[in-house]
Amino acid sequence: MEPLLRARGLTRRFGPGCEACMDGTGARSESNRCPVCATVWACRDVGLDLFREEALGIVGESGSGKSTLVRLLHFDWPATAGFLEVARTPALEKVPDLFHEGCAWSRNLLAMDKFRQRAVRDAAMGIVYQHPQLGLRMGVSSGGNIAERLLSAGWRSIGAMRERAGALLERTEIPLERMDEPPRNFSGGMQQRVQIAKALSGDPPILLLDEVTTGLDLSVQARVLDMVRELRDELRLSMLVVSHDLGVIHLLCQRTLVMRNGEVVESGLTDQILQDPQHPYTQLLVASQLQ
Amino acid sequence: MRAREWLLHAEDAGTTFGFLDDGAKKDVRRALLKAVAIPGYQVPYGSREMPLARGWGTGGIQITLSMLLPHDVVKVIDQGCDGSVNAVNIKKFYERVAGVSITTDTREASLIQTRHRIPEEPMTDRQILVLQVPYPEALREVEPSEAQTRRMHSEADYARMWLHLYEDVVHFGEIRISYRYPCTVNGRHVMDPSPIPRWDVPKLHMADTLFLFGAGRERRIYAVPPHTRVEPLEFEDHRFRVEDFAGKSCARCGATDTFLDEILGPGGSRSHFCSDTGYCDKRKATWNRS
Repeated sequence: MEPLLRARGLTRRFGPGCEACMDGTGARSESNRCPVCATVWACRDVGLDLFREEALGIVGESGSGKSTLVRLLHFDWPATAGFLEVARTPALEKVPDLFHEGCAWSRNLLAMDKFRQRAVRDAAMGIVYQHPQLGLRMGVSSGGNIAERLLSAGWRSIGAMRERAGALLERTEIPLERMDEPPRNFSGGMQQRVQIAKALSGDPPILLLDEVTTGLDLSVQARVLDMVRELRDELRLSMLVVSHDLGVIHLLCQRTLVMRNGEVVESGLTDQILQDPQHPYTQLLVASQLQ
Repeated sequence: MRAREWLLHAEDAGTTFGFLDDGAKKDVRRALLKAVAIPGYQVPYGSREMPLARGWGTGGIQITLSMLLPHDVVKVIDQGCDGSVNAVNIKKFYERVAGVSITTDTREASLIQTRHRIPEEPMTDRQILVLQVPYPEALREVEPSEAQTRRMHSEADYARMWLHLYEDVVHFGEIRISYRYPCTVNGRHVMDPSPIPRWDVPKLHMADTLFLFGAGRERRIYAVPPHTRVEPLEFEDHRFRVEDFAGKSCARCGATDTFLDEILGPGGSRSHFCSDTGYCDKRKATWNRS
């Protein structure tokens, strides 16, 4: 198995940073906020490998930096420091000046201009946010939401876009006659499914899921999770699944990272982490699960 | 008083030629050069106070004044009309501060300032067209924030604009923009061609003339240099098209190939007239002679 996405030293801080930051924040201390200069280290020195057709889970409590990590990977926020590279795939060949000659890995994506970052994102990634408002334009039709992603990738035929959007909405069980309705008319579960359809529109190998089921009731959660699992197998997706719900991680992911105060404290096979947690924080997390 | 005498007179009197002082002209010309170098890009500049309220063509006036020479022949039109209040006042102003001669004939003019129209008669590479622009930002329709639209331009991130057109087609079967139709200039920047009707948009494409756009209130200048690609945004299966005047003709000169204004007469009767009055007059004169 080959990694598809590789990140090293991903860091995002809010504030100037100072000498006391290293000792005052992070996994070993109580907070990710420096007691001296009040800098928040939302994400510090995170490394991860996402393998082909693998689902990687990221767990941790609120404020542990999970969503920040996803936003850095999706180029929503600029990183303070770090290295992110993607493996050479046919879809990425058309992005200008992304790969060195004969090199299997791209240049550092975080150091690239926004123009090429967007090209990489359009060709290789889809994202589903916890809040549908972040991923969807509520005033635009559902079909239009999917078309936006296609337009950004250079599609210019309305017929072709509607066909693709229709197929995706059908796959995510949205009735076709509601394609021209804005997602604000939809229920939470439906909005989440429109987000999934939008994320898959560019046929990306990587899907980022940021707390997809949080805030949905249990039966809808089950339905969305089933769908994600089917899609993963059907489209052979690599997924990054962020959740504070260990059940979701257990259901979807082979491997898991545990984050605390912006740092990774433990990583390994999901079963191993859930059955035999090593780090005290992970033990606490597993022990606090509702039985 | 002829132009050259006027110029000498003005210098003797210690006043500047063409209202603007040298510093202001330099500022505007510098912005113009940058605008020509990056077709379709909006260059910020220090818009000066004019003896007209902003919104009445101060952007176009500043561009014209910064370029005027005593031997220039100027034509000013407003909605295609040489005789409207805005056009007449601006012409009087140019006569007074620069002593240039004024014309209504597109062919004769060396410099044409306009609002809302491009003249029907084709222009040459010896002419310059200056457009008064109320809203320079093509993306304003989809994004209210100036910081965001600047970012979108710099990253060539135009998916939102395209989405706007997509939604129009899906909901109404047609793109509803009648004027200010967004265009891609030189394959890079999406530009607002000022409020010209769709009819005039193809005239910008690969033209011989230099087009300069000035927005005084918004403090922006942009340009379409000669022989530059100006392509309206369109879909492969939904092409851009101009207004349809099939079966209609000008009630005054009989033209069938011009942009027509619809005039409501007494009793609800409808008739059509050329929007470009200079061209209409010319046609009518030729017609009377023959």
